[in-house]
Amino acid sequence: MKPCYLGIDIGSISTKGVIIDQDHKIIRSLYLWTEGNPIDAVKRLLKGLKSDLPKCYEIKGIGTTGSARKLIGLMVDANIVKNEITAHAIGTLSYYPDVHTILEIGGQDSKIILIDHGIIADYSMNTLCAAGTGSFLSSQAKRLGIPIEEFGELALQSKNPVKIAARCTVFAESDLIHKAQLGYEKKDIVAGLCKSIVLNYLNNVGKGKQLKGPIVFQGGVSKNKGVVKYFEEVLGEKIIVDENSHLMGAIGIAILAHNNENGKTYPLNIQDISFQTKGQECSKCSNHCELLKIYRNDELIDSWGSKCGKY
Amino acid sequence: MDKVKIGIPRSIHYYYYGDLWISFFKYLNCDVIISPKTNRDIMNCGIRLATDEMCLSMKNLLGHIDYLQDKCDYILIPRIDNYGISNQTCTNFLAIYDIVHNLFSTPILSYNIDVVHHQTEKQGMIQIGEQLGFSKKQSKIAYLEACNCVWKNKKLAIEKNIQKLKSIKSKVLLVGHPYNLYDEMIGNPIISFLKKMDVEIIYSNLFYSEMTNQASKQLSNELYWKFNKENIGSIPFVQNQIDGIIFLSTFPCGPDSLVNELVMRKIKLPYLNLILDDMDGMVGFETRLESFIDIIQERKRKHV
Repeated sequence: MKPCYLGIDIGSISTKGVIIDQDHKIIRSLYLWTEGNPIDAVKRLLKGLKSDLPKCYEIKGIGTTGSARKLIGLMVDANIVKNEITAHAIGTLSYYPDVHTILEIGGQDSKIILIDHGIIADYSMNTLCAAGTGSFLSSQAKRLGIPIEEFGELALQSKNPVKIAARCTVFAESDLIHKAQLGYEKKDIVAGLCKSIVLNYLNNVGKGKQLKGPIVFQGGVSKNKGVVKYFEEVLGEKIIVDENSHLMGAIGIAILAHNNENGKTYPLNIQDISFQTKGQECSKCSNHCELLKIYRNDELIDSWGSKCGKY
Repeated sequence: MDKVKIGIPRSIHYYYYGDLWISFFKYLNCDVIISPKTNRDIMNCGIRLATDEMCLSMKNLLGHIDYLQDKCDYILIPRIDNYGISNQTCTNFLAIYDIVHNLFSTPILSYNIDVVHHQTEKQGMIQIGEQLGFSKKQSKIAYLEACNCVWKNKKLAIEKNIQKLKSIKSKVLLVGHPYNLYDEMIGNPIISFLKKMDVEIIYSNLFYSEMTNQASKQLSNELYWKFNKENIGSIPFVQNQIDGIIFLSTFPCGPDSLVNELVMRKIKLPYLNLILDDMDGMVGFETRLESFIDIIQERKRKHV
């Protein structure tokens, strides 16, 4: 049997899974929507990955990252649970060892990671209120009636992108509606939106940072060619988008799972186990903590959210 | 006659003057009631009372006063304008008295600090002693005794803070206003998380303030907010002995948003800027803190 390692990146919008071998080559990968239910998404993910994994491999490590990393880490009994910044940096470094700047725009969070001689030197993330770039793009695409996959192509056709407020997505949306009602062409509005995403990101996340090449762009939004084009235009640098750009976090955490191997083998039969969470407001003191209780096969295995530690 | 009962909100001013006030009133044999550590009820109540433009710390203060309003005879709220030229406070410190006066019916015990116009803390404290029916002499002695006692404790705390610089753990300077750093709902979750990650925390407010005030000039000559100057003035003292800096402020703090941004562009260390608002989910902060600690530990490993 050959060892392999599973990395799961559970984002707010999409869930990504990769299985890599000892040389960190991708054996299998899968990308699906989280649909607001990370537990179910991971069950579907594991089922998909397991069904076509060659029989000669056995899983010797699982890592989880992304905003639901803690929950899923518990569910799959991961041997490593790590934040997405570290995971993204490690994943990217395995493909581009001399990368200097990583731009990452996901569904909920966006970040810039600066690398110096192969180690993370600095990073910055959107402040909490300016969240939602990826999900904003997809909701606007839906509103304009354009499939999100064609959004970038359409933006590239525009020669004259409209100006859209780049301060925050709430302003951007009302600007967008006004421009559409004034009669601007759809492609120009779409292009303007892509450009405003870039400007918003650089203003908010990139504020005060020196962005040196080589620059790698990843996260779901990196698949949008319009955004890539405006990044190149504004930064005056070539932007590298890997074909696996959406999987970098999962690859990184799989590599970390390999490095943290502890001899255990994972059978991947999670989909048969019942895994439930129950939210509840604690009424024992005036803090009213929101408790989350986690059950595996109806047995309480953990509970989070208590400020005093009574639970 | 019953003893007078003075209410002290465990919020903004408490973290600068709490100890002084408590010993002062103890010496004068007055009862003191301090609101409990911030909890969800207090915070929610403050948010309900405040306008949405106020910073989270102000909203919090109003919640604490609401808790105290029917439990004491007076609520102590000073009005602080400045501690001399180029040592002003945020306008909120000036406005708090009037805001509280308009919102609550409990009598307020107040004094002004406006050094530019010759109104000092000492005069103010003596004045409230007199207002409570004590003689000028009694009030003066109580104030001097209180100062003495507070100063000893403060010195110990400062020495302890400076001692931490010798620790072999990863060291982080936590820059922020004490009323944010030490508040149960604002800074405390961050501090506990850092401690859980085995990080040594050095606090920006536990230095000699004359020194930090002066040292802030190394970062900028043009600042005129006393408390901000002292917060950032800790950086030049320790920057060669620490691994990173975390700036912690509440949304939408005016002085912090200017001063911290300015400083971030001048320092060479890794830093993290955390702006807190009323959010219950800790996941966002945990991600940021965890990655930040990863970075400083990785750097430390490479440099050793």
